[in-house]
Parts: sequence; C-alpha cells; structure tokens
Amino acid sequence: MIWTLTLAAALYLIGLLHSLFGFYQKRPIFMRLALGMVASAFLFHTLFLLWIGFTRRHFPITNLPESLSFFAWCITLTFMLASRYRINALGAFTLPLISGLTIVSQVVWEEHHIIPLPLQSGWVYFHAGVAFLAYAAFFLTFLFAAFYLIQEKKLKGKHFRFLYFRLPPLQLCDRISGRFLYLGFAAMSLTIVSGAIWAEQVWGRFWNWDPKETATLISWCIYLFLIHYRLSGSWRAKRAAYISILGFASVLVTFGVNWGLHAFL
Amino acid sequence: MSNLVVVGLNHRTAPLDARQRAAFDSAGLVQGARELGRIPGVAEAMILSTCNRVEIFAHVAAAHSGAEALKAWLSASSGIPPAELHPLLYLHEDDSAVRHVFRVASSLDSMILGEPQILGQVKSCYGTAVNARSVGPFLNALLQSAFRTAKRVRSETSIGEYPVSSSSAAVELARKVFGDLSGRRILVVGAGKMGETAVRHLRESGVGGISVVNRSVEAARRLAERFDGIAGDFSLLGDLITTADIVITSTGAPDILIDAAMVGEAMRRRGHCPLVFIDISVPRNVDPGVGGIENVFCYDIDDLSSVVEANFGERLRAAAEAEKIVDQEVRAFAGRVRSLEAVPVVRAVKGRIEEICRSELERFMKKAGTRDARQLRELESMMARVAAKITHPLLEELRHGAGSRNETTLAELLQQLLQPRKGKS
Repeated sequence: MIWTLTLAAALYLIGLLHSLFGFYQKRPIFMRLALGMVASAFLFHTLFLLWIGFTRRHFPITNLPESLSFFAWCITLTFMLASRYRINALGAFTLPLISGLTIVSQVVWEEHHIIPLPLQSGWVYFHAGVAFLAYAAFFLTFLFAAFYLIQEKKLKGKHFRFLYFRLPPLQLCDRISGRFLYLGFAAMSLTIVSGAIWAEQVWGRFWNWDPKETATLISWCIYLFLIHYRLSGSWRAKRAAYISILGFASVLVTFGVNWGLHAFL
Repeated sequence: MSNLVVVGLNHRTAPLDARQRAAFDSAGLVQGARELGRIPGVAEAMILSTCNRVEIFAHVAAAHSGAEALKAWLSASSGIPPAELHPLLYLHEDDSAVRHVFRVASSLDSMILGEPQILGQVKSCYGTAVNARSVGPFLNALLQSAFRTAKRVRSETSIGEYPVSSSSAAVELARKVFGDLSGRRILVVGAGKMGETAVRHLRESGVGGISVVNRSVEAARRLAERFDGIAGDFSLLGDLITTADIVITSTGAPDILIDAAMVGEAMRRRGHCPLVFIDISVPRNVDPGVGGIENVFCYDIDDLSSVVEANFGERLRAAAEAEKIVDQEVRAFAGRVRSLEAVPVVRAVKGRIEEICRSELERFMKKAGTRDARQLRELESMMARVAAKITHPLLEELRHGAGSRNETTLAELLQQLLQPRKGKS
C-alpha cells in the first residue's frame, strides 16, 4: 500500500511542473490542471494515512519519514484551503516543498519500525498533529507576507515586471496571510495545551522548560502580538508582514529544536 | 483540392487614405458579397472590412486566376487604379491563407496586439456574408475554426489580460493594491475629459461611490450627476481624500494641489488604509513625495505609460503561445477540409449501393411476384440492412480516415469498386 504514497508523490510532482509552467507563462489552464493533480494527490495521500492508521494501529507520525509525509499532507491541506482564492503564484511556491517532503518520505520509508516507548500514547497523535498543522498554516502566513512585501516594493518602486504581474494584489495577500495566522495560532494553542496535559500525565508537570516548549512559547507570543497588532485597527500591513516573517523564523527554530524531552526523531 | 485565397490590405501595407477608400459600409458589404459570388471561378467569398483592414476571403477554383479576379474586383469597387492598389495588397493561398484568417480573428495581426474588438468585427462581416448567401460549406468551416481558434487564444493564453490603454492601466494598478475594486470610493479632482474616461473605466470594475471636486462647483456637479456622485469645491479636498480609496486628479491647474502634509493628515485620520493616487494632469497636481508615505501609492501619467509598455511586453510573450495554438488549428483544419472533400464521394458511394439494392429488389419482385405487403416490407428492410452493413464501415473509414495519408487511394479504390458496370447491374 506504499504505492498510494508513491502515486501521491508523483502527482504532486506533476502538479508542481504544471504550476511552475502556469506561473511562468501565466496560463490559467495549467493552474487548473495543477490544482486537479494536487487534489487527487491529496486524496491518495489521505488514503495512505488512513490505511497506515488502521492496519498499523498508529497514526503515521511516530518517526522521521512518517512525520515528513504528514507535514507535507498538512501543507497540502492549507494549499487546498487557500485554493479558493485562486492565487496563481501559490503552487509555484508551496508545491516544491510538498513534493520534496513527500518524495523524501517515500524514499526513506521504513515498513516496520518500533514506536519509541514515550510515543506509545494516544496524546501524540493529537499533540503532534495540531503542531504540524500550525507549522503548515504559519508557512502560508509567511508566504503571503513575503508576497505582500515583494509586491509592495514593486508597486512603490514602479517596477512593472515579472513578479508584479504574477503576485496577488496587496490587500488580498494581507487578508490570506491573516486567515492562516488565525488558523495557525489556534492550532499552536491546542498544541501547547495538549502537550501540557500529556506532560502532566507522563512527567507529572505541566511545563518543563524543555527547549522545544520554550521555543514554541516564544513563537506563540510573537503571533499573539501580531494578532493584537492586526486587530488594533490601524492598518499597517507592511509591519504585520515583517512580524509574520519574524514569527516564521521562530517557528523554524521551534521545528528544529528536537532535544531535551522532545528528542524522539 | 480546395483553394482558399485571401487578398487584402491592412494598416501595415496601406496608408489610412487607401484603407478608407477601399473600406465597405454595411450596404457595401452585402452588395460586394453578391458581386463576388458572380465572378466566374469564385465559389464562396466574404469581405472583412474594419478601419484597419479590408480583406476578401474566397474559395476559388484556381488560386492564381482567382486571386487576379479578386484584385481586379477590389480595384473596381474601391476606385483605386490597379497600378496604385496592387503594391498595397497582400495575397495568401491555402495553408498560409488559413493561418492568416485565424491570426486575424485571434487578434494576432491587429494594430494593437490582442485587442478584443476584431473577433466581433469578423463575426459581423461573416454574418453579413451568410445573409447575402455568398458563403458555403468551405468558408463556414473556415470561419467556425477561426472563431474556435480565437476563443482558445483568449482562454488559453493571457493575451487579453494586460490592458494597454492609460485609463485601464490605472484600473490595473488600483487592482494590484486593492484586489477587488467593488465598494471602493473614488475621488475625482478636476471635471475634465481625461478624468471622466478614467472614472468610466473604474465604474466598469464595479467601484462604489464617486465624488468630484472642482474649482467651479457647477462643472463638478455636472460630472457627478452622470455617475450618481457627490460634488464639492476645493475646500472639501482634505476631507474627501480621507474617505476615498482612489484619487484621480486631472485639472489644468499649473501647481501642486495635493501635498505630502495633506495626505499625511488624511492617512492618520483614515487609520492608514491604502490610498492610490492617479495623477493624469500635466503638470502634476499631486506632489510625488506622497508616494513615500506608507500605504500611499502615487502614479503619474508617465507611470501609466510604463505600465502600458510592460503590458505590451507581456502580450508579446502571450502572442508567442497563441501562435502555437494557431499552428495546431491550421493543421486540424487541413484535416477537416480533407474529410469535407470526402463528403461527395461518400454520398456517391451510398447512392450507388442503394440504387443496386433497389434494382435487385425490383428484379426479385418481377420473378417471384410476392404480393404479401408484410413480406415486402421485410425484404426491403433486409436489403437496407445489408446495404448499411456493407457501406457503413467503408464510409466511416473514408470520413474519419480522411486525414490519414492513404485517404486518396482509399477514396479512389472505393469509387473504382463501385463504378456502375455496363451491361450488368
């Protein structure tokens, strides 16, 4: 049944090629084809996750290949959510990551692995699941913030060239960035809460100042500040975009810090 | 073989004066189509006449003599002597003519590359020719393919996406900031013609309220009434900038009317919501320094020109894609023509086989002399079934295989096979 993952990876890759071509040539038909490819890849990917879940009796998030595949799935989920805005540039910037993660995951896949003892708990699925979803959502927040800054520079500097034509309008960038900010923030809050409850059960303490915990808390605070800033009424999308980028840098650190209590992978 | 010829002149080959003399009005189109139909050797014809081109598409018996006849006719109808007219004309035959028609309909041959009006003009000229009954199956097929090509070019390339007029460039810039323009408020400073054109373009994009300020409130009111907007004088400028999203200035005033301090104050009052200035007045009415304020985007007439220029570049890129679509459609049309040419053969073969069936049935009737009506019907339908079963695969092969390389030999073979034989029927 690994073939469903292989098929998903292949479809992501074909979708990537279509969206790159469509982005470069501005051919809407290739964008629609790319979306179709990604949607079917997503379907097969979902089937694969369900299949692993039912036959192995664990949600596939317990080792490196599984995590990569699930992270790719989360980014695709956000991609599908964003597809209603019809942003032609989106595929060209997210699908390289999605395809890359899926392919690597397929290549290093381990058929039979032993789940580390601390991860043999129902909490891991929820805790790690929402964590990955938060990372994926913040990736899109970051991406649209970057689009905003580039497009703003083009518009202010009057450079009516390649990216000016291909990146979405400013206010749309800001709006989508905001949507994924809220999604990511909600998911990250759930990650922290579920992690705390789980930690209390395993280690007897809600909060242990483990490096990953600390990094998560810092990212969470940055995004909390960003939400307040956005809701404060004064429309300063450019500053909001810079804070989104800072927040994502912090998320990358959070993602990378896998020692202390979180040393599983 | 079919011979398509296109004879014509356009903005590249002929000066405006000659184009005007050669052009047809709507009555002239009908009259012309009828006259063309009477020229010996011209089976079908239509005239395309726009302000940039006059062309005749004709299906003729022989390409060379047909083209000469069309040139002579065009010279006579326009009143331009042949010696003067002929150097202005271009001539396309067969595949090159098909390509030319497709390129014209797809706006690849237009003065403004990708402009959308030409397709409508081709359609209306075609309609006129249809009503004048000067077109037949060949030109019908050609024009249908041309419309299909044009539609594909529109939908599969982005050739029409890039506006190439200043006022549509202004709309495009506003869109790049706001995305959707619906509900955006516009302030027009100056009640001149230029401002009005820009407002009309913005209105088509669904913007919301419009306000007009002018030195003379009377002129402002006249313009505002046309767009259901509100009018005011310059004392209201600061307040109206605060509530507007897009400000268009086009006054004859020789000095700066809107400066950075005024805009900075307005931005503070409007909570820093983005604001776009389109300053189409020369000399400028908006201090270019306002573009330095956060969330303020200020464009003058030169910026609009550079958007237009950039858009032309993008159209050229899209045109290269469009040429590929035209290539495909020219090839597809060649195949369709071959199967169109198979139609008379198909008809002849079918007729012949049905004739054989009928005569055989009559012979049988004479000999056997069945009078039972039911039996007769059965026999008739049996013969029809036999005929259909024999002819169907052969005819299908002829029709659909017509594009393949063996089509002539197959058509000839079938014709030979089913030639009526003397003495024996």
